[in-house]
Amino acid sequence: MIAANGNNKAKRYGMTIDVDRCTGCGACMVACAVENNVPPAHEGATDRKGITWIRVFKVDNGEDYPDKRTVFLPVLCQQCGEDTPCVHVCPQQAVDVDPATGIVGQMPERCLGCRYCMAACPYHARYFNWWDPEWPAGMEKTLNPDVAPRMRGVVEKCNFCHGRWHAAKQRAAAAGKKEIQPGDYVPACVEACPAAAIRFGDLNDPAAEVARGAKDPASFRLLEKLHTEPKIYYSSRRDWVRRIGDAPRPPMGKENPRG
Amino acid sequence: MQTTRRNLFKFLGGSAVGVMFTPAPWRLITDTALWSENWPGIPRPVRGEIKTRYTTCALCPAGCAVRARLVGEQPVALMGVPAHPLSLGALCPFGLTGHHLPYHPERLKQGPAHEAAGAVANAIAQCGPNERIAVLDLRPGRTASWTYRRAMAAVKNGVYLTAPRPLGGAAVNLAAARTVLSIGVPLLEGWGTPGNVLAARAGFRLIQAEPFESRTAALADLWLRINPGSGRSLALGLTAQLEGKAMPAQAAAETGLTESQIADLAADLAHNGPALVLAGEDVPEVAPLNRLTGAWGKALIARAEAPVPDSWKKAAPPAGLASVPDGSIRALLIDESVPGDYIPWNAIAPKLVPDNPVVVAFAWSRNGYGRHAQFTLPTAVYPEMTGDAPAATDSPAAAFRISTPLVPAPAGMVDPAAFIAGAAGMDASSALRERADAIHKTGRGTLFTCADAKSTPVKEVKPEDFWKALNEGGCWVDAAGKPSAPVEETGWQAKTPAPQEASDLPLLVALTDLPGATGLISPLMSKLYQESNLRLGPNRAALNPASAAACGVSEGAHAVLQTRLGERPIQVTVSASVPPGVVEVGASPEILDICGAFSRARVAQS
Repeated sequence: MIAANGNNKAKRYGMTIDVDRCTGCGACMVACAVENNVPPAHEGATDRKGITWIRVFKVDNGEDYPDKRTVFLPVLCQQCGEDTPCVHVCPQQAVDVDPATGIVGQMPERCLGCRYCMAACPYHARYFNWWDPEWPAGMEKTLNPDVAPRMRGVVEKCNFCHGRWHAAKQRAAAAGKKEIQPGDYVPACVEACPAAAIRFGDLNDPAAEVARGAKDPASFRLLEKLHTEPKIYYSSRRDWVRRIGDAPRPPMGKENPRG
Repeated sequence: MQTTRRNLFKFLGGSAVGVMFTPAPWRLITDTALWSENWPGIPRPVRGEIKTRYTTCALCPAGCAVRARLVGEQPVALMGVPAHPLSLGALCPFGLTGHHLPYHPERLKQGPAHEAAGAVANAIAQCGPNERIAVLDLRPGRTASWTYRRAMAAVKNGVYLTAPRPLGGAAVNLAAARTVLSIGVPLLEGWGTPGNVLAARAGFRLIQAEPFESRTAALADLWLRINPGSGRSLALGLTAQLEGKAMPAQAAAETGLTESQIADLAADLAHNGPALVLAGEDVPEVAPLNRLTGAWGKALIARAEAPVPDSWKKAAPPAGLASVPDGSIRALLIDESVPGDYIPWNAIAPKLVPDNPVVVAFAWSRNGYGRHAQFTLPTAVYPEMTGDAPAATDSPAAAFRISTPLVPAPAGMVDPAAFIAGAAGMDASSALRERADAIHKTGRGTLFTCADAKSTPVKEVKPEDFWKALNEGGCWVDAAGKPSAPVEETGWQAKTPAPQEASDLPLLVALTDLPGATGLISPLMSKLYQESNLRLGPNRAALNPASAAACGVSEGAHAVLQTRLGERPIQVTVSASVPPGVVEVGASPEILDICGAFSRARVAQS
């Protein structure tokens, strides 16, 4: 990982997600899979064994009609701060926090597949490759050349499209710039969201929209009580939605016997 | 020191333990992992020159602008074009994965084109005076549609059939509406142009009247839970209220709302106008209702089609399936090369002649009409095909875009327009160019070019440059005329309501998430359908736990959905969010052939 230095002021990339704007279309989920070479589901994959670096949950307020209200909540790796649970438990040092960007990186080459990190992650935002990646015949031609597919037996997760960060760094260097300009580096889910519900930028830059959004009184983070310092900020004008942040992840369906 | 056997074992044992405290074995594991990551089973992405190309998505009538990232000549990612005047940079999940479609495992590779051509020629030659040769076009308004119309005008007893068009072909201007009442229309789930709808969303209050909590209902400002199939009654009640007449008795009884709720809703529409009322073609009362709410001529307007050459105007008029007598179609040619509104086969079959009709389906797979046709001819899929996209439902101005191929179509694919034109003795190979020239000739409107995000008046563009720009993802948008109200005869036709009572069919069917008539979706959509619970997949059915227990099925069970028209295998999902007594089904052609929305069904163990 690249260390911060005097010429390249450390950034703290983060996101704001306006839950009131999310329509639950799933464009972020498929754009992420396209960008990061996540394969289509294996026949035996279920919602527990599938790989969705960003997953949109349908969450309601628990009331019945006419008081029932529903929102869609995109959940991805929350890019925790210094006390990142997955970093602490990894025996292989396959997870680390890049001091230059604040991005929690996952190195599948080092991963042993012990899944301690999955157990430690309070957001359940890590996914295990139960099968080797497979694409229908010919579809492997559509893979993104900037991202290597991962093998069976390793864990993977959102890394804010690290391939795009490298590409942006190269473009900046080619243009004689030392730093990436705001807007030159945007993860695929942000670019794909048709409702513009997801914003991305440097939380350390006071002029950035995300930095302002993070300080909005309507913003909240998931499981703040754990003090993991996530860099994903959600926002909603509705009180009951803001209280979702303190709740555990919505229960998933019973395991499919085919899985 | 004497070397004994015991010392040797002690040394080896100590070494084995000691080496565990060095990086060596762990490094070996890492290296093994690196090696195994590159074994032949893991595909390696192809590298090459990165290019950008623009085109138009052909997966639905919205025709969103697409920016493709190519490695060499191979598209590896599709994105929207932010400055585009119609799609405003948005793409839906289906559009984002369009470049996977040529590699769909269920795709047809070959078909009996020569035999089909011979059978159609024979049918045309032998067509009796009371028989018809028909083309069924699931996506009307395209240049290919004009080719079909011209071909059917040239053929004896030719008929051009289309599915009912939403709002009878009238255009919706969401930006002009202050209130939108949607009676079961999936406004925020792919209706119209996603980018345009979401951009306009902040400007209007959305009231969704629907029996179930769809995504649109969940995101609406107000969700009115009405009884299934009661949209017409709600429209009648609102019309009577706005006209100052007594409310029909069935309005409250059938919708499940109180009379005061309907009266309040009518007052809301009257005071917060222009109030647009949207509904499916099964609610014809929506036309007079829009006149009363002030939407007529403002939020609901007439819109001309993009110009066509004068020589094309002697074409067969569009007709509905209902206008064709039963047992009269000798040859039926169905274009389902682009997804459109699926007409159930049980509505088509009675129209065919009883003795050996010829049915040809132009399709990408056998999942749609190919299951019923004698000849299924494989077609190019987006983004291999060349075609155009007319203006979408929510575009106030006429538009013309070309879907330019990003990858070449494989050998053996059949072009439906060329096939049908050939059967009628026509040559339509230059139809797109002729239409582009006709548009340019009018000198109206502007041309948007994606590469530089500029709009230029057509008068300032040369014909060759106009054609070149259209082939590079450009978009012609007609000049904004004075909006006028659509004519009364908009083609709305009431469907025969499905029988609601059947004691042996205890469940009410709710169809969800139509991915297009023929289910042409990327295998990667498993992220939404299988690897998460965001959407219900094709051929999956969701039941309330109580209903599932009553049917004797459990989560993940393989079962059958039985209706009056037949049965289909399904897989069960148990969800507390589904109301009791309802079965939510992921729509697919197989499911649509046996049931429509709000029909009755039974789920039984298979």
